Amino acid sequence: MSRSRARQIRPLFTLYLPVMPFVLFALFPLYFMLITSFKKNAELYDPSSIPFLIQRGVTFGHYQLLSNETLFWSWFVNSLIVSVAATVISVVIGILAAYPLARMRFLGGDSFGMAIFITYLVPPSLLFLPLSTVVNRLGLSDSLWSLVVTYPTFLVPFCTWLLMGYFRTVPKEIEECAMLDGCGRLQTLLRILLPVAVPGVICAALFAFTLSWNEFLYALVFVSPAELKTMTVGVFSELIRGDIYYWGGLMAGACIGSLPIVVAYVFFLDYYVSGLTAGAVK
Amino acid sequence: MTSRGVSRRQFLRTSAGAAGVAGILASGRAPATAQTRELSFLTVASFVPDTDKELKRQFDEWGAKNKVKVRLDIIAHLQLVTKKASEVQARSGHDLTALGPGLGDADLYYDYLADLNDVATDVAPKNGGWLNEHDYLIRGKWKLLPWWMPPFPMAVRTDLLEKIGEKNPDTWEDWLRIGKKGKAIGHPFGTAMGHSADANVTLLSIMWSYGASYVGKDGKTITINSKETRTAMDFVKRLYTEAMDPEVLAWDDASNNRCLNAGKCIGIHNPISAYESAKKDKVVVPGSQREIAEVIDHVNTPRGPVDRKTTTGYWCVGVWNFSKNVDLAKDFLRYHFQPENLNKWVEAGHGFNMPFLANLTKHPVYKSDKQYRHIPDVAKVTVPPSWPGPTTAASQQVLDLYIIPDMFAQYSTGKMTADQAIAWAEKEMQEIYAGRRRKV
Repeated sequence: MSRSRARQIRPLFTLYLPVMPFVLFALFPLYFMLITSFKKNAELYDPSSIPFLIQRGVTFGHYQLLSNETLFWSWFVNSLIVSVAATVISVVIGILAAYPLARMRFLGGDSFGMAIFITYLVPPSLLFLPLSTVVNRLGLSDSLWSLVVTYPTFLVPFCTWLLMGYFRTVPKEIEECAMLDGCGRLQTLLRILLPVAVPGVICAALFAFTLSWNEFLYALVFVSPAELKTMTVGVFSELIRGDIYYWGGLMAGACIGSLPIVVAYVFFLDYYVSGLTAGAVK
Repeated sequence: MTSRGVSRRQFLRTSAGAAGVAGILASGRAPATAQTRELSFLTVASFVPDTDKELKRQFDEWGAKNKVKVRLDIIAHLQLVTKKASEVQARSGHDLTALGPGLGDADLYYDYLADLNDVATDVAPKNGGWLNEHDYLIRGKWKLLPWWMPPFPMAVRTDLLEKIGEKNPDTWEDWLRIGKKGKAIGHPFGTAMGHSADANVTLLSIMWSYGASYVGKDGKTITINSKETRTAMDFVKRLYTEAMDPEVLAWDDASNNRCLNAGKCIGIHNPISAYESAKKDKVVVPGSQREIAEVIDHVNTPRGPVDRKTTTGYWCVGVWNFSKNVDLAKDFLRYHFQPENLNKWVEAGHGFNMPFLANLTKHPVYKSDKQYRHIPDVAKVTVPPSWPGPTTAASQQVLDLYIIPDMFAQYSTGKMTADQAIAWAEKEMQEIYAGRRRKV
């Protein structure tokens, strides 16, 4: 075998084959969701059928059920509105909080950073009861605003912590140069630091969007009208009826629900990876 | 009125008007005459979607008649616990709410539920009276109205019965025998033994049928440690090892439906939902073109050596006392509980939603399909899960923590002896009833 041929084959054993099990493991849920959403109910119930294959023909009935007999597309739009709004708010606040914590020295700065991290650790299942009182007092119950306001309670600490790590990887010297040239703090942040920190910001935004998109508990508790539900709650409410689960419909909802996240990660994957790794090593 | 000034009457009129506008602006609310009255109702998604449609129709109709803006919100039953907790915490939310499963919410949320004594008294005579009125009174009051229950008959595969040379079973011993024969040909009996509502229902049914119970009539004495419980546990151990597959330990409420409709189980203890969904989806017997719904029959809940009793999810409806529309909510309940409306609602639900009112147990829907013929019989022997004790927050907690299924499972799987499993359950229950255990 020639040396060039060996060089071509080598990645197969050193890269592709070792990675293959992980790829299969990661993609299996998506694959299973997809084929379940196209199977007929009779096949879904049949224990003798092979669960990983479609053997009795494809049906679009579950997607039709979602589209025609539920408010699925309204829920989809609601999820999109809430997730985008909560992400924008959280990333902006996160940037403004992370910059001083990463760059400036002031009394209680470290403790404040730690407090933000601890806030992130408090689970929503503990917070939803007091938050329901807050949402009610603000008069936001049964509106999408209740979610836009409450999601940042777990997104801002996360974004702040992630961006703090990223900002610390950016050399201080370039900011100092900008300040020597007459930039103020805010200008330095906007004109110097942020353009350099785009991967970190995108990484934070992606995470925030994913967390908002998948959120279930607050969306269940704070919003009741069917037309205002988010996708996670709406699909669950409509397609689990007593002890009957509409598995095909549930999987169809899950498939469509995965798409925005998949699209977002495909477009920004490089930023995402560099954002994560840069923040991780500092 | 003078030509240059303002008369006293005009001044008073203008001042009153200005004060009124200021008041409206300050309060942030429209005056009563201009306000639209609103009533909201939170309920759980019914297994039969037409039930929800009929309820909505009645709610809309009542709203139109009374000039009230109405809103019916429907959620999955698994979400109700979280919703109730948050609404009580915020003292805000819906006016009417579904409660359950079980009557325990009446005790748990006793301080937050409006008294419904007047409504309960009004609606009962028109519907032949409540089935077991005393079961529904919590601390002597109507804090909720029992709304509907899905009775638990036994669903059985008639083709498999024929194959093993058996007829429709009637006792738990019959079911054990049939389950053994069925398991031998790859069609075991199936009942959940894990953390699910179905497991609570079936295992309590077996306990009562063998003369056991977990709490006395006084609602204080824990009676689980008895000879009868040991007999029931021995029976369940045999049922588990000889007639069922170990997977029942991990089953949820949907698993037995799936087992029957997949053509695997010879029988399950369940409401008619499995049959109805098999009929709707035209599921066939594996390896044939025959629809599985055609070979399913429903028989009465089994009898034991002592009794024939079962329980089910007691779905109820209540009105939060922090609602601003308590009277309107009561008015809608009176409307919904009118015989003609309840009749239409039961019809829409194919009888899956049987009200706790005597006349409704004789609804024509139960004669419309051979499969429904035993449902009124099952309703007659259906008691609350705390039977013979009263329903309390403690009895609800025993259910919510799945102590009964865990006790049976520990013994059936050989992890504990019968004495150990009973002693464990007894201690847990005593702590719950003594209030030493934190509420879930």
